[in-house]
Amino acid sequence: MPPPPALAISGLTKRYDNGFQALDSLDLEVPSGAFFGLLGPNGAGKTTLISAVCNLIRVTAGEVRVFGHEHATYAARSLVGLAEQDVNLDRFLDVEETLLYHGGYYGMDRAHARRRAGEMMDVFDLRAKAGVRAPHLSGGMRRRLLLARALMHEPRLVILDEPTAGVDFELRMELWAYIRRLHCEGTTILLTTHYLEEAEELCEEIALLRGGRLLARDSADGLRSSFDADSLADAYVKAMSIS
Amino acid sequence: MSELLVRHRGLIALSARETVRVMKIWTMTIVAPILSSFLFILVFGLSLGGRLKEVQGVEYQVFIVPGLITMAMIQAAYANNSTSVFQARFDRYINDILAAPMKPWEVNLALSIGGIVRALLIGIGLLVCALAVVDVPVRHPFELIVAVTFALALFASFGVIAGIYAHSWDHTAFVTNIVILPLTFLGGVFYSVDRLPSPWHEISHANPIFYLLNAIRYGFLGISDVSVLLSLGVTGALAAAMVAWSSWLFRTGHRLKP
Repeated sequence: MPPPPALAISGLTKRYDNGFQALDSLDLEVPSGAFFGLLGPNGAGKTTLISAVCNLIRVTAGEVRVFGHEHATYAARSLVGLAEQDVNLDRFLDVEETLLYHGGYYGMDRAHARRRAGEMMDVFDLRAKAGVRAPHLSGGMRRRLLLARALMHEPRLVILDEPTAGVDFELRMELWAYIRRLHCEGTTILLTTHYLEEAEELCEEIALLRGGRLLARDSADGLRSSFDADSLADAYVKAMSIS
Repeated sequence: MSELLVRHRGLIALSARETVRVMKIWTMTIVAPILSSFLFILVFGLSLGGRLKEVQGVEYQVFIVPGLITMAMIQAAYANNSTSVFQARFDRYINDILAAPMKPWEVNLALSIGGIVRALLIGIGLLVCALAVVDVPVRHPFELIVAVTFALALFASFGVIAGIYAHSWDHTAFVTNIVILPLTFLGGVFYSVDRLPSPWHEISHANPIFYLLNAIRYGFLGISDVSVLLSLGVTGALAAAMVAWSSWLFRTGHRLKP
């Protein structure tokens, strides 16, 4: 029997209280171990989709399963790590505390959390800032901490919502290298980005979203071929212009 | 026991985080309210108390202490939780909590703990300061514990609710300044409501904080304007209503999740 997909979404619909329909009966499956990209313009439904998976919105209809578990369950929540687009760090906690408390929220015991926090600080070069509170970190350091926090509880599905937005070239390369390494170790990655070259460089498969619907999904080569385009950018523009 | 702790590590971690927040800014969260309430005891009690008659057989400077402790504790429980929850929503780090594998009641309880710890530290600190200048007895410890428990449940939950509904910092402060503070003063912190003429005497009985103040004053001094059972009944019913409301918000995600 094949392993359950990392993400199985069926008929997912989200209509906000103001009437805006962000997702419209969306079906999507992300295989376990995949590096999967979500592309689309602002308002396409990417962040709403991520928020639905992470229980941050109330879905209007549909089903979301994470490695076979219904998304609101303990098991499903433990398997997902999220680094949001906005830097949403706890202003009262320093770097080490941010990681330790996050570990606690996800049920890690103190010794395990301390060990893992040490690893995360080393990997993301945050050790020297261990005692510095989030508001006093530079933009790049905050972005690293956001990623370290998402990975702290060793999730099997890591959701990265525009992780390299606004970061400099060096840090972007560093983050790419770390995300690639994570994927090679078997972690499923769901990435949203506005940088098409980032999606092409990193993702094995890309889904194009618009108006809360799935327009197409394929590899970068497959999308170029399907839309008879020279580049992913061309394919994207052609896909988005289909009425 | 250890299995229970393992199962509720999220609750423990979030409760610890709320307590750490209180302790990191202890001069503002603990010392300042103790100092301002202690000044009331010094100014109204010791300076003016000698010129005022006894109230219900108790010296005035002693009479006001339970009310001042109550006022400081309920303001702290409310203010702490409303600002902590609103800050978490404002900075959006509440998403880290809402996405975590914790049950809604665990999140609700943990977010209430900070206000409860802060209020207890203020209450104990203020009592210790008061004991240095006046002799305040504890005549009915059981009733006092029940009354304080109800008071903390009521205002800690009220703070969480306000933090969830607030659209701006002004909203959380509005409730303190326009609702809690006037009702506390008019509930009889500085006087016995029995001394008020009609209709103010009857109107005061519609003030829920009047019952809370009297329950706690009965616990300390053994005196009350109304039956202690009525006081505890009203306060307990209000606490149950607030806890039920905040539980519903976390269970349904109303206002927390779009």
